Amino acid sequence: MPETEPWLTRIFNDYLPAAGNFFLNLVGLPHQARPWADYITMQFLVVAIIVLLVTILRSRLSVDRPGKLQHIFELIYEFVLGQTEDQMGHGGIKYIGYFATIFIFILVANLIGLIPGLEAPTMNPSVTAGCAVLTFLYYNFVGFQANGLLRYTAHFAGPVWWLAPLMIPIEIVSHLARPLSLAIRLYANMFAGEKVTMVFLGLTYFAVPAVFMALHVFVALLQAYIFLLLTMIYVAGATAHEH
Amino acid sequence: MTKKMMFLLAVLFVASPMLFAQGTASSDVAVQSKAYLEIGAALAMAIASGLCGLAQGKAVAGATEAMARNPGAIGAIRIMLILGLALIESLALYTLIIVIGK
Repeated sequence: MPETEPWLTRIFNDYLPAAGNFFLNLVGLPHQARPWADYITMQFLVVAIIVLLVTILRSRLSVDRPGKLQHIFELIYEFVLGQTEDQMGHGGIKYIGYFATIFIFILVANLIGLIPGLEAPTMNPSVTAGCAVLTFLYYNFVGFQANGLLRYTAHFAGPVWWLAPLMIPIEIVSHLARPLSLAIRLYANMFAGEKVTMVFLGLTYFAVPAVFMALHVFVALLQAYIFLLLTMIYVAGATAHEH
Repeated sequence: MTKKMMFLLAVLFVASPMLFAQGTASSDVAVQSKAYLEIGAALAMAIASGLCGLAQGKAVAGATEAMARNPGAIGAIRIMLILGLALIESLALYTLIIVIGK
């Protein structure tokens, strides 16, 4: 089905199949005729957009006369900083790099699906699972870093020592459920948004499903915010010092 | 009014095997099990969405009442409300994933 691909994927597949097959061979998968998948090229596009914006921003940073782009990014930064201080107090500033990155990436990735001709990479479960597994590894790593290896795993035993045989399986399952729920929540919201629009496009006139796309804008923003909030809650739980 | 509804529902319940038997009279096992699969999927999604709606209604009711009683805490209550709504929504979405997967 090459004629239904987004144009970017078609460009990648026409001119760079060798690079795609090289990466497939690295992980042991066989050669394919059109190796670049939609979500991979869309992710590249998202990263390119973000890097371009931030490069333009950097060249125009000014303390005395900030421009519009600087205002926008200051708003985003203040927002993430405010949320971090709500959740984690003053120690949270160490982790704001990861929080802001994941928030901006998921936000731009969600919103890019609204542009005709482009497809949101977060509509694919692999992309959202990647973000969720990354968050899982990050908050565990940060927990080890802040509390030490032994004390972090001692959290799993719960408040009193004789509840440990009950608490440890419960804690392990709930910790494993976190990346699963993060991945599925984001994937299902984005996928259902597009599916609903398509279904209504088949049922009614041409421009009426635009209402669903308006709702989808709100859902995209909300889901990026929820991902950020949950990441912060998990990191806050992992780095909590019991004083 | 409620008694009539209950009676109608009971009649529908009892009559449903006969209705479905008429529809899939081809007695092909694959077709029958596919019909049951689709009916089960629709019912599961309906139950999940209905219960999700009820739970979100309760969440919004509690949040608006708390905001009315304590206007100083509106910021914190708003964050909890959004987080709670998204978590409840995700439960209905898990059902949607299973339905789409089947």
